[in-house]
Amino acid sequence: MLASILAQVPWQAPSIDYHAIAPEIVLAAGIVLIILVDLFVGESKKWVTASLTGFVLLGALIPVLTLAVSDPDARSLFDGRYVIDEYALTLKALFLIAGYVVVLLSQNHVEEGDYYQGEYYTLLLTSLTGMVMMASSRDLVSIFVALEFLSIPAYMLAAWRKRDRKSNEAGVKYYLLGVFASAVMLYGMSLLYGVTGSTLLSEIGRQITVDGDFGGVHALAIVFVVVGFAFKVSAVPFHTWAPDTYEGAPTPVTAFLSVASKAAGFVALVTILYVGVPQAKDVWQPFLWVLAALTMTVGNLLALRQSNIVRMLAYSSISQGGFILMPLAVAGTGDAAGPALQAVVVYLLVYAAMNLGMFAVVIAAARTTRSGEISSFGGLFSYAPGLGVLMTIFLASLAGIPPLGGWIAKFAAFRAVLEAGNGWAYGIAVIGAVNSVIAFGYYGNVMREVWMKPAPNGETRAVATPTSLVAALTITGAATLLLGVLPGTVLRFGDLADLVGAFGR
Amino acid sequence: MELVVFVIAAAMVIVGALGVILRPNPVHAALSLVLTLFGVAVHFVALEAHFLAAVQVIVYAGAIVVLFLFVIMLLGVDRTEDISIEPFKVQRPMALVVGVGVIGLVTAAVSSSRDAIGRGNGLEIPTVTGDNDSNVRQIARSVFGDYVVAFELTSVLLVVAVVGTVMLTRRIKTGKGES
Amino acid sequence: MLTVQFLLLGAVLFCIGVYGVLARKNAVMVLMSIELILNSVNLNLLAFSSRLGSIDGNTFALYVIAVAAAEVGVGLAMVLLIYRNRRTIALDELSDMKG
Repeated sequence: MLASILAQVPWQAPSIDYHAIAPEIVLAAGIVLIILVDLFVGESKKWVTASLTGFVLLGALIPVLTLAVSDPDARSLFDGRYVIDEYALTLKALFLIAGYVVVLLSQNHVEEGDYYQGEYYTLLLTSLTGMVMMASSRDLVSIFVALEFLSIPAYMLAAWRKRDRKSNEAGVKYYLLGVFASAVMLYGMSLLYGVTGSTLLSEIGRQITVDGDFGGVHALAIVFVVVGFAFKVSAVPFHTWAPDTYEGAPTPVTAFLSVASKAAGFVALVTILYVGVPQAKDVWQPFLWVLAALTMTVGNLLALRQSNIVRMLAYSSISQGGFILMPLAVAGTGDAAGPALQAVVVYLLVYAAMNLGMFAVVIAAARTTRSGEISSFGGLFSYAPGLGVLMTIFLASLAGIPPLGGWIAKFAAFRAVLEAGNGWAYGIAVIGAVNSVIAFGYYGNVMREVWMKPAPNGETRAVATPTSLVAALTITGAATLLLGVLPGTVLRFGDLADLVGAFGR
Repeated sequence: MELVVFVIAAAMVIVGALGVILRPNPVHAALSLVLTLFGVAVHFVALEAHFLAAVQVIVYAGAIVVLFLFVIMLLGVDRTEDISIEPFKVQRPMALVVGVGVIGLVTAAVSSSRDAIGRGNGLEIPTVTGDNDSNVRQIARSVFGDYVVAFELTSVLLVVAVVGTVMLTRRIKTGKGES
Repeated sequence: MLTVQFLLLGAVLFCIGVYGVLARKNAVMVLMSIELILNSVNLNLLAFSSRLGSIDGNTFALYVIAVAAAEVGVGLAMVLLIYRNRRTIALDELSDMKG
């Protein structure tokens, strides 16, 4: 019976390039493996799941590298719905390495909490899989599924400390606003599908042209989609969830959310804007301009008032997001499109290194101080010189002081903006410059505590930093320094400029 | 005929939706949600999306609403939300302004682009073949063809959601004092 | 075809959902309002799918339903979690952190 029905259906199985989706396959297999291993190992051996997660992430990096060296052409699956190009590979590598650092950060933190290690790493790995998928997605359905794939585990990670009221609150706020944002974004996507007749971004790009009949629905669809992602990247005024979630969630999860989750939001935003609706830049550029200006300014001003370091870093991360939006807001198409795309990718790479490093220092120092107050970092240099110096490096990099990575990122962003060279561009460049100066205020404040203030309570016992944290600090510290000293390594991604043309294939 | 079905189903949808947002008792709101979901399912049949109409009834009206009711009952039905005592003085009028504003915006946009929506962009792919199974077959071909990566990953997502949900709601055995 | 009418119905449903999310303070009710928005999305997708004669809208709606099911499960788990710790699910009482 079944066979006769099947015989009637002309069915051609899709040809799948398994090499191209190998990273996702490794990660999905890893998720299942960790769930199973977690079932069978005893309480005292749960650390196995942490090591396995690390190996799975590094294992997924191997096909990314082989894809990078194997052939120069972009691979395109399913009529261009899933694309492996230089942009996708760079970001996949970023997500995997950032994920590995987060695993290193989590190891001790999670072991000290007394429960659910296996589930923690399963959720972390799932979220990373969604991000890796996001980097390649070039159609609305894949982008939506990838977004939910990375968000749903992240909601649960934020609420992971079940008995802690703050962690619950963080999870619920993140969940409700995240789900609301993706519902709004979906509404925009449904309109976008309707007016262009395709879910494929390159096809949408062909249908939406400036001189064709570009109506109110087109504009509304784009605005709704951008609003949805503005929530994800915590752009002001859609940022209200971020400080509470960052403060309440376990600190390694905060590091993960503020770096990887945010980067994934930007990746999706950039893909949709560049591939899907580049012609409609008159709609989204002013909107992003306002978002970028507000995000930088409000994030900075609120960061100045914080006394809790994680909350300060939350606002600092909001304001850094404004700097990533800045090149997009003025340089979406035309000559400046290449530099803008390059600036965003470079900024994401550098920001991941320095922000993860900053959180690594906070986690390491909090092992002694047991406090999140900025004043508790007083005299850090006197009793833990290594951490003091590293913290200064990361703070200086976040502030954009040469010759560190953060300087290169800011430089690339401003260069892209100035390349656009119109009044709007100069306007946002001025706002950005003013904000760079304001940022010295709160970064400098922490530095002053570290170097000049005495330790509170006369606490001078040296901090024992566990090996995994030392590894995380080494990776992020080296990356921050190298990206600054050898900008060629990142600016090599100048080739990304070619992508703008090739993006839509 | 088409219009009659549309009007009746649309009335169901809107009455149900208003019930969800206005009823003070969560159980009544959940039952209103069922009305909306059924109305939407009727629309799906009218749009010849037979498979999704079935999914809508089974998954949404069946599983999801039962889940809602289950949680509401677990938390206690008597805890009705008193909408007359409103803690955020600003929030409700603000929500009303946002709601009405958005509806005006969307309506204006849709009416202004009536042509663009009606025309179909010259991408006509003949679908209606008179074959009753065609909708299901086409969805199958699409899900297992172009969207297969998303499909496989969704299955992983469902497993992980189950794992995470169990983690969040399970009581801890070590006796560390969570009652 | 009644495409435009379907879109207007979707728009009304969307706005009712948005109002519900912003105005209700019971977490379960907010989740239900989000379901209303997702239904308006599905209505749009299928109306367009039928109008355009392309199956992609159907597939998209199927994914929306599948993912929404996972989302609701997780959301209700979180509601239970806060209820256990605080004995309330009113969102305005979630204010341990400020600033």
